[in-house]
Amino acid sequence: MQKLLLAVDKLSTVVGQAFSWLILALTLMISWEVFSRYAMDNPHPWAFDVMSMMYGTLFMTAGAYTLSKNGHVRGDVLYGFFPPRLQAGLDLALYILFFIPGVVAMAWAGYNFAAESWAINEHSNITANGPPVYPFKTVIPIAGAILLAQGLVEIVRCIVCLKQGEWPSRGQDVEEVDVEKLKEMVHVKDEDIAKLDEYVIHPKGSHP
Amino acid sequence: MKKEVWFGLSIMAMVVIAAFVLLPSPSQMTNGHLGLLMLALVVVAIMLGFPTAFTLMGMGMVFAWIAYRSQNPGLAVQQTLDLMVQRTYSVMSNDVLISIPLFVFMGYLIERANLIEKLFKSMHLATARVPGSLAVATIITCAIFATATGIVGAVVTLMGLLALPAMLRAGYSVQLSAGAITAGGCLGILIPPSVMLIVYGATAGVSVVKLYAGAFFPGIMLASLYVLYVVVLAKWKPHLAPPMSEEDRRVPLPPFAEIVSTSISNKVLPGLIGAIKGKRNAAVPMRELVNHLVIAVLPALVVALIMGAIYLKVTAPLPPETVEGVVAMGGGISDSAEDEAPGVGGLAEPEEAGGLQPLPAEAGTPEATAKSPVEEVKTTEAQAPAAVPEAAVQERQPAPTSFWIGLVSCAVALALFYAYFSFARLEIFKMLLGSFFPLAMMILAVLGTIVFGVATPTEAAAMGSLGGILLAAAYRRLNMQVMRESVYLTAKTSAMVCWLFVGSSIFSAAFALLGGQEIINTWVLSMNMTPVQFMILAQVVIFLLGWPLEWTEIIVIFMPIFIPLLPHFGIDPLFFGLLVALNLQTAFLSPPVAMAAFYLKGVSPPHVTLNQIFAGMLPFMAIQVFAIFLLYQFPAIGMWLPEMLYK
Repeated sequence: MQKLLLAVDKLSTVVGQAFSWLILALTLMISWEVFSRYAMDNPHPWAFDVMSMMYGTLFMTAGAYTLSKNGHVRGDVLYGFFPPRLQAGLDLALYILFFIPGVVAMAWAGYNFAAESWAINEHSNITANGPPVYPFKTVIPIAGAILLAQGLVEIVRCIVCLKQGEWPSRGQDVEEVDVEKLKEMVHVKDEDIAKLDEYVIHPKGSHP
Repeated sequence: MKKEVWFGLSIMAMVVIAAFVLLPSPSQMTNGHLGLLMLALVVVAIMLGFPTAFTLMGMGMVFAWIAYRSQNPGLAVQQTLDLMVQRTYSVMSNDVLISIPLFVFMGYLIERANLIEKLFKSMHLATARVPGSLAVATIITCAIFATATGIVGAVVTLMGLLALPAMLRAGYSVQLSAGAITAGGCLGILIPPSVMLIVYGATAGVSVVKLYAGAFFPGIMLASLYVLYVVVLAKWKPHLAPPMSEEDRRVPLPPFAEIVSTSISNKVLPGLIGAIKGKRNAAVPMRELVNHLVIAVLPALVVALIMGAIYLKVTAPLPPETVEGVVAMGGGISDSAEDEAPGVGGLAEPEEAGGLQPLPAEAGTPEATAKSPVEEVKTTEAQAPAAVPEAAVQERQPAPTSFWIGLVSCAVALALFYAYFSFARLEIFKMLLGSFFPLAMMILAVLGTIVFGVATPTEAAAMGSLGGILLAAAYRRLNMQVMRESVYLTAKTSAMVCWLFVGSSIFSAAFALLGGQEIINTWVLSMNMTPVQFMILAQVVIFLLGWPLEWTEIIVIFMPIFIPLLPHFGIDPLFFGLLVALNLQTAFLSPPVAMAAFYLKGVSPPHVTLNQIFAGMLPFMAIQVFAIFLLYQFPAIGMWLPEMLYK
């Protein structure tokens, strides 16, 4: 069971990480476009469309990846203090109540939306001769489907947690605030921090 | 159960009770009341801890379906599906939100360039003479670093590792140290380029450019208020922040400087020139002397270039309406630079001057901002002479008196600066050159291009990211791992914010369909409030919401409710946004859910308690409230710049 969970995690992660490189492409592309426009006086009419397609694809495909790393923002005023079983129960209920219907509807609607766009061979109308839009619209059902798969995995996780009383493990990933890494970066060791305690307990002025 | 749980439960209970008291019985319920019920339910559901984006999406879908069904049961499902996909697609192709991943990416790259250690050290030496110097240096470092990165958690953690030990060792009180770190770390949310302002702009339909222009001075004001508080406190109660000892303050000089300063002159300019021209000590290599002389005259060079560029602009025979804005701005800032210089001491002057430097470069050559700050200096140098012959061909206009006044005051400031420019200060200046100036210049370059309309926020953000890559490369921190981590983190953070937008736009569509907005409008209008009362009410509500909810949730869910009310009271959404941004800052510092405190607790010595940290944050929170009051009393602090630039 744990293997299957991690396999789906892996899928979301691989897809999300692969598309996350779009940010680098986006940076370089816009920089080039600005250079091209100001320095070489040669703006590209398709640039605007391509920019928004890159950005849209980036965040849509990263949705499942973020979910698999538990990265979506939660109101954790209360949640953080609940015991794991209560957390899992609440999550399970809300996954079934909100997540599954919402994401299924989005993926399904997205499928029709994209199919329509393919059928009429839709091109962007922001500029004349805009680039094709249908691949971009196809991102919605694809992202929705991966998100749904990841959501089902999260539901299984909730059930496992309800049974075992603790959360099953997740795949490792880079974290925004990785204290150990930051300590290494600025060359601070745990002993140094512990040593500081004497200053806290005996402030300098009160030394004999 | 812990008190936090009770706190949360009581808020939840209050919301539910309020919903029951205010709403009519089910038989008389209209769609509008359903909308209000939905709003109450969503607050409760968010507090249950489910990922907010999906809570909003699911709830929005259900209520949108109810709204459509009441009009036309046959089409309800199809209409709901259409609404969802349209809303999703509009977020995907939103041209404001696109700068979020780019700014986030820039932040992660800069964070990983590991400038903060150098930055803190050099700031601390530069401010050594100010009372409470370590805390002042902490706040300034935080402000700059947090502005460039925008990541509260990382900044507070890093400063907790660097500044907290330094302050504790120097005998600072735990409360003051903790307060300075947490308050400073949160400044990045307000001072542009911040993601919060983009989110507000996208939600409220206010131009991000104007928001950036507007938030700049309130952000600086808040940082200065913090510094002022620390300085006053350190003067008033020295035992809380003892001054640094002579040996801590001493800057180690390189060998050649020791020789020159003892044998010729302690002042940099006479010392170096004397050493180069006159008889030299054998131990001092010529190369080093010349290198240092070049560094030493940099401030003068920069000022000369700026004044030269301004002179060209002022006297250039261009159509007056395009010139006015740029020229007046340049003059305005350089004047303010002069005003501030004496207060902070000799060293502050070149910082301001250095900060100004990108502006003329942009005015003339926008592409200069694409390059790293170091290259930028070269570009300016190359561009300024190039511009001379071209402009000189045409008839020149006489420069206004204000220009000459500015020139003279610049010269006086420079003369003062060089009069006090000792070799120890040269060392500090070199350190600042390696840490403070690249960051400050990057921020100002990004902001400058946006605010002066040279580039769109998206373009400036992309340039900023490129600058971040170059910065990381310049500090030899750019490798595959750093790149990969930054890219992945960017994807996750942007997914978090943008999916929240997907959810909230479906939710707010449902709210509008049900007509909840109208009920709130008529209800608020029926109370016959004055604009001031309304403003206070709105800020209090947002402040209270800041406890249980995060700023992203507050902005995307509740701003769409407040914004339509603003025209009734004649309040500018831009000004409202600035107040909200200041207000949400306090949410980061208000116990018991202040994020910053928990990050700091994670890296502080075991005997530092959360209560001490909270106690330290309270005065800074009071300063924030005071800042909101100031901004409200004197809206010009925020509105002056946007009003002048975009009349």
